[in-house]
Amino acid sequence: MSETKNPLGLSSIPSVSSEGLVPVGRRTSLSSYLAALWNRRHFIIAESRAKMSSSTRKNILGYGWLFLNPLLSVLAFWFIFGYILGTSRGIHNFLGFLVVGVFFFGYTGKCMTGGTGAIRSGASMIKGFQFPRAALPISTVVRNFLDFMPTLLVMVIVLAIAPPLEEITWRIVLVIPVVILQTIFNVGLACFLARLGHKIPDLTNFMSIVSRFWLYGSGVFFSIEDRLDNHPALLAAMQYNPMHAYLTLVRNSLLYGVDTDPKMWIVGTVWAFGLLIVGFLFFWRGEENYGRL
Amino acid sequence: MADSEVQEPNIIAENVQVRYTVNTNDPGSRATGVRRLTNKIVGRQGQTTVRALRGVNFVAREGEMVGIVGANGSGKSTFLRNVAGVEQPDRGRILVRYQPLLLGVSAALQPALSGSENVRLGCLAMGLSPEEAAEAFDYVVELSALGSAIHRPMGTYSSGMGARLRFAIALAARPKILLIDEALSTGDATFAERSERAMDELLAEAGTVLLVNHAAKVIQELCTRAVWMHRGEILMNGPAEAVAEKYRWWAWNVAKGKEDIADKLLADVVSNAVKEEINILEPELIKNPIPRHAARPSKTKAAPARHVKRQDTVDEVEETPTPMLAAAEEQVWPKSFDAEMPKAKFPALPKPASQAVSAPRITDAPPLRLNPSKKRVVLRAANPNDRASSVAAADDFTGRRLASRARQIADERYEERQRLRQEDDSHVVHQDSNR
Repeated sequence: MSETKNPLGLSSIPSVSSEGLVPVGRRTSLSSYLAALWNRRHFIIAESRAKMSSSTRKNILGYGWLFLNPLLSVLAFWFIFGYILGTSRGIHNFLGFLVVGVFFFGYTGKCMTGGTGAIRSGASMIKGFQFPRAALPISTVVRNFLDFMPTLLVMVIVLAIAPPLEEITWRIVLVIPVVILQTIFNVGLACFLARLGHKIPDLTNFMSIVSRFWLYGSGVFFSIEDRLDNHPALLAAMQYNPMHAYLTLVRNSLLYGVDTDPKMWIVGTVWAFGLLIVGFLFFWRGEENYGRL
Repeated sequence: MADSEVQEPNIIAENVQVRYTVNTNDPGSRATGVRRLTNKIVGRQGQTTVRALRGVNFVAREGEMVGIVGANGSGKSTFLRNVAGVEQPDRGRILVRYQPLLLGVSAALQPALSGSENVRLGCLAMGLSPEEAAEAFDYVVELSALGSAIHRPMGTYSSGMGARLRFAIALAARPKILLIDEALSTGDATFAERSERAMDELLAEAGTVLLVNHAAKVIQELCTRAVWMHRGEILMNGPAEAVAEKYRWWAWNVAKGKEDIADKLLADVVSNAVKEEINILEPELIKNPIPRHAARPSKTKAAPARHVKRQDTVDEVEETPTPMLAAAEEQVWPKSFDAEMPKAKFPALPKPASQAVSAPRITDAPPLRLNPSKKRVVLRAANPNDRASSVAAADDFTGRRLASRARQIADERYEERQRLRQEDDSHVVHQDSNR
């Protein structure tokens, strides 16, 4: 193994052929990265279910909280806004308006905070196994999606039985494409923030503030069309807010049973797929760095 | 050592350098000026750069089990992390034949989940399909020997049990390159034996194991070769016995506080150390030594017309009678040589058949035919460009062929080790009875 002398008395460096060897831990091409990610789809699902059950298992009621939690929050909203304050702020069925806003925004908000810390919380997985790292932010979204499903069910039931009763139209089906669009948007968002959060750990502190701004800017508690009448420029900008688009679409389909401006559909779709592509590519380009914490 | 050159390399590390920038509260490396003020504000005292690896050259071949010894902080774990691909080195490169699997002490799975759920999760993370994970489950339970504890949450395991489970999960994916970072040192004696057998099988299947362990005895027993790392460099590289013995001697002196002797020993080793260099032969260059830009055909060369290329039948070349040499007319020596010798005139020969317009060009090399008897069996991942294809297909032809031999080789190794141990033991007993 050490230096060997050849007959001329010159020392020669041992040579090894690198045939069949590949650099380790390098970022692969996008197509094989996607293929590898597709191969780990079972892992992504198992990982998100593991996260979900490890968070609920400590409780006595376990999975029951997935239904109890949204039910209790609806009760709290009804108690404060409907019973004590008796406010409607000029909005028809304010309770329904509020519930839709809070739950749908909560889904994206959780993906946002979860995505920011996805690399950090998956550090042991990253160090133990080799897999496409995009599985981690995606599994946070899957986990929140699984959390969100019972919430959605509770919400629809409550809106159907609680007064004021809304007439259910065929438009309730439109909630499904909106949830799909929002999930796609969340995947892009989680991937984007995962790399950013890995690079700048301070972002976790910042995210709660950003999330609050976004919450108010998306019209969760009030209709931004009414409030921003005297700021037309701001209102125009808000129209392109993806969360506002999703919330409006859900409220119109579920609560009011009216058709929505196609512009909202376009805004929602463009945001979802645009952010998915941008966020995923951004995450993929940093693939080699995630091992260093 | 000579025959090890014949073996195919599984890991090649070339001039690997790693440095970390970390916070320090060493008063000596405090920043000055504005920097110091900002450090004060964010509650930091200073930063320093640590060179964890300073140019490591290393080759590990098929069937080798290489031990890595060295003091704490000498860069052993960093090296393993880089070989595993978890981190990328700042300089240099690492080439591997298969995706390595790193087995560390700290690589905790999900502590809230039960052992069996962690087995499934770990197997899926390594890229096994759910069916394969279910198949591997029995193997994992058997190898880890956890019994009914497998159904308890992993957070309730002792560190030794956790290490056993992680080792068994890692082997379930049948890795070809296993990097063990002191993970086995927490297991008990029965597990040590199981794990050794499992590793023997891995080695017999042309795999490679890198083992970091502080106990030089373990390295001597298990490894074929050992490497002594010190301050991010490889000091010694050689047979496990010799290297581990020197390291043990040095570590013993350090432990006893005999710094002067330890320093002397170290100086002795350092003075003999040669910085090993390796020359990596690129397969592209071996096959095609002329660089592509130089070998590029000149553009002026007209490509043969399409219809010519497509014509398969070769026109019959007419037989022409070989003409006599023009000089053959007078085959009599001239009277005097003063006169100029008549120059031989060569008639224009008919074009060789190969250059006839209709003939297929033979300038192109004949297509390479696979000669099965000459083909060397090289095990590799299904798709070498894809590092995710770490799990070698166990049921392909080579896999089966090797597996049949692997068990035999593993048994041989195992028996050999048992024999050596018994010899050791009887030796000790003998000494005791003499006393």
